[in-house]
Amino acid sequence: MLTLRDVPPPTRRPAVRPRGRRPFRDNPLQILAVIGLLAAALGVALAFSGSWRYSPDFLTEFVLYALSVADLTMILALVFVLARNIIKMMVERRRGLPIARFRSKLVGALLGMTLVPAVLVLLVGSELIRSNVDRWFNAPMEEIVASANRMASDYYSERQLLTSGTAARLSRALGAMPFPEGDPVAVRDVIQPEVAQQRVSMVEVYRVARGRSGPPVVSSVVDVAVPSLPREYNRASADRLAERVAAGSREAHGPEPLGGGGQLLRAAEPIRARDGTLAGVVVASDFLTGEMAARSRRMTDAYEAYNQLKVLRNPLLGVYLSFFLMVTLMILVSATWMGLYLAARITRPVQRLAAAARAIGAGHLDQRLEPETSDEFGSLVEAFNTMAAELSASRQNLERSARTLERQHQEVEARRRYIQTILDRITTGVISLDADDRVSTVNTAAARLLGVEGDQAGLPVGELLGRPDLEPLAKLIAGARPGDADKPAQEVSLAREGRELDLAVAMATLHGQGGAIEGRLIVFDDITPLIRAQKVAAWREVARRLAHEIKNPLTPIQLCAERLARHFQGAPPPTRELVAECTRTIVGEVESLKGLVDEFSQFARMPAPRRIPTALPPLLADTLGLYVGLFRDVTIETRFPADLPPVRVDPEQIRRVVINLVDNAIEAMDRRGRVVLEVQHAAAERIVRLIVADNGPGIPEGEREKLFLPYYSTKRRGSGLGLAIVRRIVAEHGGTIEVTSNAPRGTRFTIDLPA
Amino acid sequence: MIRRALLAALAAAVLGACSGPPIGGVYALSGAAAGDEGLRVASLAKDGQLLVSFSLADGLTRELRQAIDSGLPATITYVVELRRPTALWFDGTVASATVTATVRFDNLTRQHQLSRTIDGRGEEPRVTEDEEEVRRWLTEFDRLPLFNTAQLEPNMVYYVKVRAHARPRVSGGLFFWPWGRGGKTGFAPRFTYLGDDRG
Repeated sequence: MLTLRDVPPPTRRPAVRPRGRRPFRDNPLQILAVIGLLAAALGVALAFSGSWRYSPDFLTEFVLYALSVADLTMILALVFVLARNIIKMMVERRRGLPIARFRSKLVGALLGMTLVPAVLVLLVGSELIRSNVDRWFNAPMEEIVASANRMASDYYSERQLLTSGTAARLSRALGAMPFPEGDPVAVRDVIQPEVAQQRVSMVEVYRVARGRSGPPVVSSVVDVAVPSLPREYNRASADRLAERVAAGSREAHGPEPLGGGGQLLRAAEPIRARDGTLAGVVVASDFLTGEMAARSRRMTDAYEAYNQLKVLRNPLLGVYLSFFLMVTLMILVSATWMGLYLAARITRPVQRLAAAARAIGAGHLDQRLEPETSDEFGSLVEAFNTMAAELSASRQNLERSARTLERQHQEVEARRRYIQTILDRITTGVISLDADDRVSTVNTAAARLLGVEGDQAGLPVGELLGRPDLEPLAKLIAGARPGDADKPAQEVSLAREGRELDLAVAMATLHGQGGAIEGRLIVFDDITPLIRAQKVAAWREVARRLAHEIKNPLTPIQLCAERLARHFQGAPPPTRELVAECTRTIVGEVESLKGLVDEFSQFARMPAPRRIPTALPPLLADTLGLYVGLFRDVTIETRFPADLPPVRVDPEQIRRVVINLVDNAIEAMDRRGRVVLEVQHAAAERIVRLIVADNGPGIPEGEREKLFLPYYSTKRRGSGLGLAIVRRIVAEHGGTIEVTSNAPRGTRFTIDLPA
Repeated sequence: MIRRALLAALAAAVLGACSGPPIGGVYALSGAAAGDEGLRVASLAKDGQLLVSFSLADGLTRELRQAIDSGLPATITYVVELRRPTALWFDGTVASATVTATVRFDNLTRQHQLSRTIDGRGEEPRVTEDEEEVRRWLTEFDRLPLFNTAQLEPNMVYYVKVRAHARPRVSGGLFFWPWGRGGKTGFAPRFTYLGDDRG
């Protein structure tokens, strides 16, 4: 059964509140900072988006890679978040947490509301991007840019062919001359018309000298240029071209950019002498104006840009789709996170309330919650705290009442133990009965006096006192009425184990609240010693009066009888003999009466014992010495312990006790048998036990108690005062005397004296 | 049975990863072998140099040709590694070299500008209009003195591994798979280096 003491003591518990750093979801500043960072990253990505088309490596190796990694990361994050929440939801459902269902529903609803439109937008948007990208590369546009590039390229090729043709023609013309030994003026005369007719803008002629080893060495012989040719052209490029051609390279032409956007289209041809040997190199250059070169370059750039877009179509499409997918995944992750966030915002206070309620249910009534918001949840938390405070106050009042009850219970218990101790220790027997006359308690004295078991609760009193020797008491109780409680105590005599037990029985009625009878209380005292003392006192008074009334006339009777004897000494013999015989009889009986009166006097005037420490063995041995040689057929055996301490007794009275008991034993054995005088020391009980046992015929059980009454004797002779005197001496020494049967036969007197 | 087959496949994969090239050329001073079908590699120790030749068949793919024609600079990078096989473990790399070949086509002049670098050192650039020369320039390398035989220990087994990949990466799907490099790998057969000028 649960008692107040079983309730765990209240311990101070802090209010449930978030400790330490606030979680990310509860920190608006952090959330705003993350959103800002994401927006900045998106802005940076968009700012760099212009460089994608010009940097395919950046596009494929960085942008596409980063977007793919971002997509993969977000897919993993989404899968992780969803899987974690699904597992968490399953675990919480298994635990029976009521919040799990609501949270899963909220997250599922938000995710479902976002997933369908997001996927639709992703599919439609992807298809839109794909179709738009395809539309970039339509046939007319491709044809236009290809034609433009072809026009520019053809123009370059044509000018290059013209220049190469001029260089070849000049090479043949110079080869027909004695070159390189010829006159430079003659060489100039050969090339001057070509320049003058604007076929080329410049012609440079080199002489080739061959060393024994190493590459051929070229040196300029003459050069002729139109006056309109910009002066900033690089002569070294023509030298290198001449060197390459002299070395046998087939790379005999190429453009050379000039300042201002113009270009020189160079073409080189080897000059071979008549014998076929390499004599020199002629380099012809045609000048393209900056405007023409730039226009051609722009057309080619447009063509190349278009083709590069075409080549990078898939990576570009991948970038757009990856970006689109990333945005979709961000929306899904955000929706999931938002669902979790909202669920946490809603369910966390409920969970805190549930946890606090469980804590209060566990006895922690000082549990409080700190309101985090001022909305309905805040009001709920306030109401919860108020309820907890009231519960705590009620608990404190209850505990105070419990402590008061406990204290009263302890007082009642102490009183009960006190009364129980009294009942256990007093010599007055107490039996309490309930309203149905069933035994509630039987104290130790009652159990001892009545010879019943103390633990008889619930037993009808009729059964408790069902033994025949207890019948007078049972009748008294059964015949009592509620009004008899006020009557004085009544005496009841019981014969228990051959002893007469006189009880003074009083009864009281137990009343409960309202005066209802709850039972009865039976109180009885053993007044046997009192009755016995009253009898002894009465007998002593009788003895004293007898001794006084009888002893006074005895002397005149004896004197008169002796006078009659003397008076009739002179009478005739028959008369004299008759008188003498009668007077002897009278004197003898008078003497006998005197002895009897003396015993009465001694019984009536027995002095108080003068107790002194006495060694019992010598005293008893000395006493028994009186019997030495008196009875031939009687054996007196003594059993004295070696370590018997001195006992405070009156030696003379103890001697008389022993003589009386031994005399009675010898008489009972008809002066033939064995008498044992034994002394025992019961150190634990602090008594010295004196035992006188004989092997005579024994005493019937019904007569044993009467032995100690004055003037009761089973002998033919005697006053019947011996054992009465013995009991009185023992009683005045604070001891007890008991007579029992001796095994295997005879009588056994046991005297217990305080050691 | 399934578990035993899986263990056997795993053991074969581990041994294959550790052993590197085929072992047919053990004790040969030189030879040629192919890892991927398209990349053939041969090595030759001569005059204190380990000369490496390799060719990438079908290296000039249609996509790469389109990229070149669009004017994008195209580069094929070859990572050449001299490796020493190790039993039951990954082979160790003794030395490595990076060879790049780049071509850029000018649609205006219809000329290809060719350039090569070996470990960052550039060679003389060239200009050509011949597409076959462009193909050879990008995919064929003959007896490049990439390693010094002083790095080799006599009587030890070595082999040469070449990995090639082209940029820009214009082939493949819409999404970039970071673990797929899209390159090709070739191996020269193992050889035992016997000492200086023995080959």
